Amino acid sequence: MLKDEKRVESITLSGRESGRLANPDIRDEFGLETLDMNMGPQHPAMHGLLRLILELDGETVVRCDPVMGYLHRCQEKIAENRMYPAVIPLTDRLDYFANMHNEHGYVLAVEDLLDVEIPPRAEYIRVLMCELMRLASHIPSLGFLMLELGAFTPILYCFRERERIQTIFEAVTGARMMFHYIRIGGVKADLPPDIPQKIWDYIEGLEQRFQSDFVDLIQGNEIFISRTRGVGTMSQEKALEMGLTGPPLRCTGVDFDIRRDYPYSIYPELEFDVITDQAGDVEASYRVRIAEALQSIRLIKQCLEKMPEGEVMGDLGRRLRPAEGDGFGRVESPRGEFSVHVVSDGSDTPYRVHYRDPSFCNMQLLQEVIPGHYLPDIMPIMGLIDPVSGGWDK
Amino acid sequence: MQTVLNLLEMEPIRFFIAFGAILFLVLNLAAILVMAERKVAGYIQLRYGPNRVGWRGILQPLADIIKLFTKENVSPGRADLWIFLGAPIALFIPAVLVWIVIPFAPGAVVADLNVAILFFVGVTSIGALGVIMAGYGSRSSFSLLGALRGAAQIISYEVPLILSLLGIVMLTGSLSLVDVVNAQGDTFWTWYFLPQFPMFIVFYIAGIAEVKRVPFDLPEGESEIVGGFMIEYSGMTWALIQAAEFASMGLMSAIATTLFLGGWQPPLPFLDLGQFNWFWFGIKTALIMFTFQWIRWSMPRLRMDQLMDFGWKILVPACLIWLFVTAGVMLIIPG
Repeated sequence: MLKDEKRVESITLSGRESGRLANPDIRDEFGLETLDMNMGPQHPAMHGLLRLILELDGETVVRCDPVMGYLHRCQEKIAENRMYPAVIPLTDRLDYFANMHNEHGYVLAVEDLLDVEIPPRAEYIRVLMCELMRLASHIPSLGFLMLELGAFTPILYCFRERERIQTIFEAVTGARMMFHYIRIGGVKADLPPDIPQKIWDYIEGLEQRFQSDFVDLIQGNEIFISRTRGVGTMSQEKALEMGLTGPPLRCTGVDFDIRRDYPYSIYPELEFDVITDQAGDVEASYRVRIAEALQSIRLIKQCLEKMPEGEVMGDLGRRLRPAEGDGFGRVESPRGEFSVHVVSDGSDTPYRVHYRDPSFCNMQLLQEVIPGHYLPDIMPIMGLIDPVSGGWDK
Repeated sequence: MQTVLNLLEMEPIRFFIAFGAILFLVLNLAAILVMAERKVAGYIQLRYGPNRVGWRGILQPLADIIKLFTKENVSPGRADLWIFLGAPIALFIPAVLVWIVIPFAPGAVVADLNVAILFFVGVTSIGALGVIMAGYGSRSSFSLLGALRGAAQIISYEVPLILSLLGIVMLTGSLSLVDVVNAQGDTFWTWYFLPQFPMFIVFYIAGIAEVKRVPFDLPEGESEIVGGFMIEYSGMTWALIQAAEFASMGLMSAIATTLFLGGWQPPLPFLDLGQFNWFWFGIKTALIMFTFQWIRWSMPRLRMDQLMDFGWKILVPACLIWLFVTAGVMLIIPG
């Protein structure tokens, strides 16, 4: 282990302006040099295409430089050349584990520009779909965390749930991943008549097996606890300073949720709790995700119970030409705050679209938190953020 | 005919044939274990496992072997070729060699060494050499880390492994595995796993660590160092490493059976099958191997510092305490 002041020094040296990866000035107390290691972008356990340049002192990580850009697709630039409704399928490709939230965020921003009235049934369907999406994202993220800790089995149980939710999505939207379902002014189509009952049955079943499949086997495991407790710990101040949102922020005890604090859609009419935890480590983020998944189940039930009848699409013209100005939409995606800023110049294509993606913004936690941890702790800390490649690279 | 039989009686030739039989058995065991592993994993993970080749996928190991034999063997350009190619052999030989001291049935043992337990301990620790060779010869930082972890782990867990055997050596007064089996008798409550229960647990845990399986598969660590010391191997060399892993897993189960579960002894006297007592040996070994696989597919992995803490601060003291308890009981109740 390096002495503390050396570790701090190494963090400040972590920029790549020196032009070389190894820093010969960092030596441990025996005068031995450190080992440089390149993790990713082709690494089986890395979340998508992330490259970490690591400097190791034995098994201890001294320096960690995340390098992104391996999945960059110019999403924001392409959006400038497309008409407003045609940007929605592009947003599906951002955070491909929470597509509904991306669509919702973009649509909210454009509706902010347009000032249209959305039928209440469409709002309920949007929230229903978003909360199902949150389940389909939070549950596999537990599996990813376990996979990163070396247990292979939980992920298959988690993907069983995601698979069933995707089947529901397929029935509703016609696609399993790239939905293009939430449209400006409403949603694409009404729910098929048998779907509310199917969702209800599925949610009931999930609630019953939730404890046995995702909590009992994982949470009580001694090895799981020793691998996650105290790993990746950060303080509230640090988390706020880094601009974290979502479970990584709430697991440090900050009570912040866009759904409640900057309400959108019909969330003010629904009852749910914002989950926080005090520890701020990987285990706390796991507990937050588990509890949030249960809250999602609660929200889905309320949506199904309260869902009004009526139209699902507002009255919009064929060609959208918003007045000059800018629109802003923010939603609570499973990974944190997803917000979209759309600037209009009066034409039928946006002048500028900017996405604030939680995967990207939460990523700076890596550089701050990882130095000082052991090499095997990198992966659980990635699981704490649970970033998605399409999200951070846009 | 008579001369042939006489020849067979001669010690070197008998040994040669018997060792060939062991080699055949171990290689087949590795193939069967790979298959069993995938099936067990499948059923634990809500899926079927391989079920396409042959009846219920029973010929899958054959297909795997053909694939691995015909695969190109790629070695990294910077690798130290002699060390790199020698490592799988250094891993495989100890995993096969120890099988010669295991009594499969009454009288069915290749070599009844009077230092069999010492032989087991000594030869299995050669495996650490293979791990270091593989990691060092590959010239990759991932495999180097894996090799360092592997070496540290195998050497550390050797200590509780040896200590856990001492109680049995004290009880039996012999280092020969045949004597150990004979001393345990043909009723299951006289087997050593009852009087030596803590030692059995320690042996089991240290055994898992010795064969580098979850939760002690740090040298592989597929989520951080992607296969560790075997990351650069492909084709036959990789197959040899895998065969060695599975052979040593079978070996650990066989040794645990022999030492703690009465070897080939039947659980109750009337179940004695005479020469066919290898059946009991097989059943018990398979049971232990199944628990290895069960753990493999339901546990996460420990971290290096936790692994060391667990080995040195829990397993070793537990062994020492139980060693004193055993010695004390033996003093009070002679015989």
